[in-house]
Amino acid sequence: MNDTVLQAKGLTKYYGNSPAVDHLDLEIPRGCICGFVGRNGAGKTTAIKLMLGLLEPTAGSSSLLGCDSSALTPAIRQRIGYVAEGHRLFRWMTIGGLERFQRAFFPKQWDDKLFGDMMEYFDLPKRKKIKHLSNGQRAQVSLALALAPNPELLIMDDPTLGLDAAIRRQFLEGMIELIMRQGRTILFSSHILGDVERVSDRIVVIDKGVLRANCSLEQFQRAIRKVVLGFSGDVPGQVDIEGLLHCKRGDKQLELTLVGADDEKVAAFAKSIRAETYNVVTMSLEDQFIEFTAPANHKRLFQWEER
Amino acid sequence: MRFAALFGKEFRECLPWMLLAAIVLFAFGGFTLRMQAHDINPIREWSRGYSTPGTTMQASRLTFNSPLAVVGPWVFGSAIGLGLILGACQFWIPNFTRTWPFLLHRSVHRSTVLAAKLTAATVGLILAVGGIWVGLFWYACRPDVFGMPQPARIFIEGWIFITLGLVAYLGTAVSGLSEARWYTTKIFGIALAAIVIFVTAMQWSLVWALAVIAFSIALLLSQLFDTFATKEF
Amino acid sequence: MELKNVSKYIAGPGRVFTTALIILIAVSVVQAFAMAAIETFVYAEHRTATKGKPPRTEEEKRIGRIRQASKQFLPDGTIHLVYEPRSKDGRIIEPRTEQIYDANDHLLWEGPKDQRPYEYLSWAEQLRRYTDAFDVMQIKQMQMLTPVFSRSIEVPIGSINNTEQIWRYRPGDECFEGYAVGGGRIGFIGAEGFVDSKSKVKPLGEFRFFTAWCPGDSSSPTLLWQTGRRVYQINFEKRQTELLFESADSDIETISLHAWRDLKPGTNDYIDSKKYRPLLVCITQDGVHHLILREPDQRLSVAGPRSSFTATRQAIFAYRSWADVFSVPSMAVSPQLYEEWLEQYYNKPQKKWMELYRVADDGAVQLLNRYDWTMPAPDRPLHMESLLATQRLVGHFSPLLYSLLFHALGTEFWSYVQQSTNRGSFFYAMLAFPMWLRSLNGLTNWAISALMMGFVFWHGLPRRTSRAQFAFWLVFVGLLNATGLLTYLALNHTAVIKCPACGRRRGLAQNDCIHCRAPLPTPKPRELDLVFKSCC
Repeated sequence: MNDTVLQAKGLTKYYGNSPAVDHLDLEIPRGCICGFVGRNGAGKTTAIKLMLGLLEPTAGSSSLLGCDSSALTPAIRQRIGYVAEGHRLFRWMTIGGLERFQRAFFPKQWDDKLFGDMMEYFDLPKRKKIKHLSNGQRAQVSLALALAPNPELLIMDDPTLGLDAAIRRQFLEGMIELIMRQGRTILFSSHILGDVERVSDRIVVIDKGVLRANCSLEQFQRAIRKVVLGFSGDVPGQVDIEGLLHCKRGDKQLELTLVGADDEKVAAFAKSIRAETYNVVTMSLEDQFIEFTAPANHKRLFQWEER
Repeated sequence: MRFAALFGKEFRECLPWMLLAAIVLFAFGGFTLRMQAHDINPIREWSRGYSTPGTTMQASRLTFNSPLAVVGPWVFGSAIGLGLILGACQFWIPNFTRTWPFLLHRSVHRSTVLAAKLTAATVGLILAVGGIWVGLFWYACRPDVFGMPQPARIFIEGWIFITLGLVAYLGTAVSGLSEARWYTTKIFGIALAAIVIFVTAMQWSLVWALAVIAFSIALLLSQLFDTFATKEF
Repeated sequence: MELKNVSKYIAGPGRVFTTALIILIAVSVVQAFAMAAIETFVYAEHRTATKGKPPRTEEEKRIGRIRQASKQFLPDGTIHLVYEPRSKDGRIIEPRTEQIYDANDHLLWEGPKDQRPYEYLSWAEQLRRYTDAFDVMQIKQMQMLTPVFSRSIEVPIGSINNTEQIWRYRPGDECFEGYAVGGGRIGFIGAEGFVDSKSKVKPLGEFRFFTAWCPGDSSSPTLLWQTGRRVYQINFEKRQTELLFESADSDIETISLHAWRDLKPGTNDYIDSKKYRPLLVCITQDGVHHLILREPDQRLSVAGPRSSFTATRQAIFAYRSWADVFSVPSMAVSPQLYEEWLEQYYNKPQKKWMELYRVADDGAVQLLNRYDWTMPAPDRPLHMESLLATQRLVGHFSPLLYSLLFHALGTEFWSYVQQSTNRGSFFYAMLAFPMWLRSLNGLTNWAISALMMGFVFWHGLPRRTSRAQFAFWLVFVGLLNATGLLTYLALNHTAVIKCPACGRRRGLAQNDCIHCRAPLPTPKPRELDLVFKSCC
């Protein structure tokens, strides 16, 4: 069995004359839970749709479970679960009707018990119409429909969008349920880094269509650090340290965001510029992501004047 | 089983509109036909086919509409209206509800999804409009209703109107799938359907009318299949 | 079954055809509107310019009188000019009066129309469409697929308050099918009369024309039914079909009647049967006039130019009228010939004449009298020329294909199309569009097409996916002019970017730049990117 379930080589998609996805190279191995993150308009949904064959790439290619995305066979699609952004389902159908519809495409692998248990767990009667469900309930139905066929590969596009914390937790618990089954691979995009941090073991960061990070979550969290250096005198004008991402000058202090810089290098640098104090700031994954994807000369959204 | 599931979904989704078309045609068409049968403002007045002995008469006075003429606009309108609505339901509305990804990520070829839609719409048109039309024509042919059977040509004309409904459906479908702006070529599918309907109405030969319709259906179907296969959702 | 493979080679041309067709219709409508608007504006200018003309001279009045007078013959061959004076604005003066002049313009009589002292010969008249007669074009219109369905020809038998039978015409079978109202089928009426089953009925023939009247003893109509080669008289009440005439060699072109129908005195079209014999005239396409007379029955054929006939109890007469101007060529088919004709027609006086003949029993004709007169050159109406001028203007943007088709198919073909259009054929009316909208100035048309091709070359070069497609579009735009260009722009709007390698514009339909073969620009990797290919 091939270890790589998802592969993209130079995957590119232009809208007009600017690229939404630009030469994306990606490989996701089997059994991996991969968080796919990026800012608004980074190209996450476009990349996912390219991989699922819903969009035609301008250049490059991608494959799922060894099959070219532009020619995914019915047999391959049967092994892939997909939760689309916004959980768009047929509003006029009942939950039971949707279940019957979905089941028709997975005659041998449909898990009736799992679906029933999930509906019971989420307290959703099958006679209820989709249009009468809230966003969260629709997300639950969507997840159940995607999980019940026991897919080998589950791709979810921002599955917790618009859900409150409680529903999100339930959703993630459902995902963990799937994770417990051997050999399952999940790729999910999200804006909520807390969710990514909770379940993923791999993180892929995309920024303006370009791949910026593709590593284990641990490697990502270890690599990005923020250090605050304090000075008694003037703050040095020139900052020259390997791995410098951002530099923010304050009154008698220098805040450095670094990528891949270890303690030794930082300490040596602090000494070289005669910093009096040296503190490493604890960063959440969200903080790290924001710093990693912020442009070099980023401005603050709100610049309040000091009164 | 998969095709049946897709067909069932498409058919049930459009069922309310099909029922509405059938009810409208049955109610209004049937009511006006019955009014004709009971001589309440009938469209056919045999009296104008006579004249005073020893006088000329205008030859056109000997041309008569069938009593089904009052039903004709309802059949025409129902078929084309239903065609437009089915096309919009199946191909325009999913663009707004954004259910295409859910529908297309099925363990079937895209052509199967499209075939299910086409089959559901065609069956719907035939049952909803065609079925009622057959009933109304049978009723009009009863000797105790209008005294004599109606020309078979009118029966065929009714079915031609239903086929025009299919043309309207395909035109709307092609327009719905088009990614162009509405003020450029997006509406060309509907425009072609309108042209076909107009040209068909100018035909007096049934053979030519059917030829025009067949040609347009082939044209629209090929574009529909190609667009559906290559469209980005 | 893969969708792409099945539809790829059909959908592309289909899409081009559909787009081009709709745009062609839109462009043609715009051109037609432009022509109508310009032509109306010029004609309106001409009409306002013609107001305030000086009063007519005596000679002009005399010429006007001769032009407007009807030329009537007495049975002895004498010709009179019967003139009905009108007011200054062309309206008929009430009470209606007549002035009768002889051939030398002497006034013979003046007075109320109904007190005319002379009894002139009346002539067999061709029946008029929509009023007396029903022809092929009307039957086609009747069968058009309108929302109210087609109509049928049905003949009721009975009385106004009690219809007993209906006889319905079956166009496919070319016969009538009869039903008893409330009962079943009665039978069929065809070429050989009434039969009780469909298998026995003989078709009447391809329909061309019919007229109807009620005979003196019935309120149900009798039909005079003309087909390609035959004329029948069908009486449904008596279930009889009488074959009046059959042409052996060529199709019947027109028929006219005189005193044929037994109408009551005082009704429209009544002809005094004491003075005239029933007469049916069939003109066949070989130009022969076939006269069918009754009382007594007689048939004769008269060859020669188109004539009108009448048959009194004493003799058979024919008259012919002529003018020395050749027939108008179609402006659309040949503008050059049409303009030459305009020059001839509107620049010289026109000679006209009328001749009265007596027809012998063997069909020979003997000239009894002739009257000729000369009309001055008429005023040239500006709107005819303006139509050509506007066609020249708007035709610059017409497809080159129109001109090529026009010359390839020849003026004979297009004359036939024009005639078919005049007969009301929708198909030929559509076909006539190239004729009406084609460019009359080939050089300008070619130049505009070349400019458009140049634009397409500039626009399409960086976007082209294949040479064949590129060449197709160049030829397409060249042949279809504005329509082609709009179609091209509608279907070829892929984005272009600047190639980072060679700096030239390149399309995105191909991976590599069409100029330098460089691939699409790749993003610059940052040193700080965290891309590792480690396993989970």
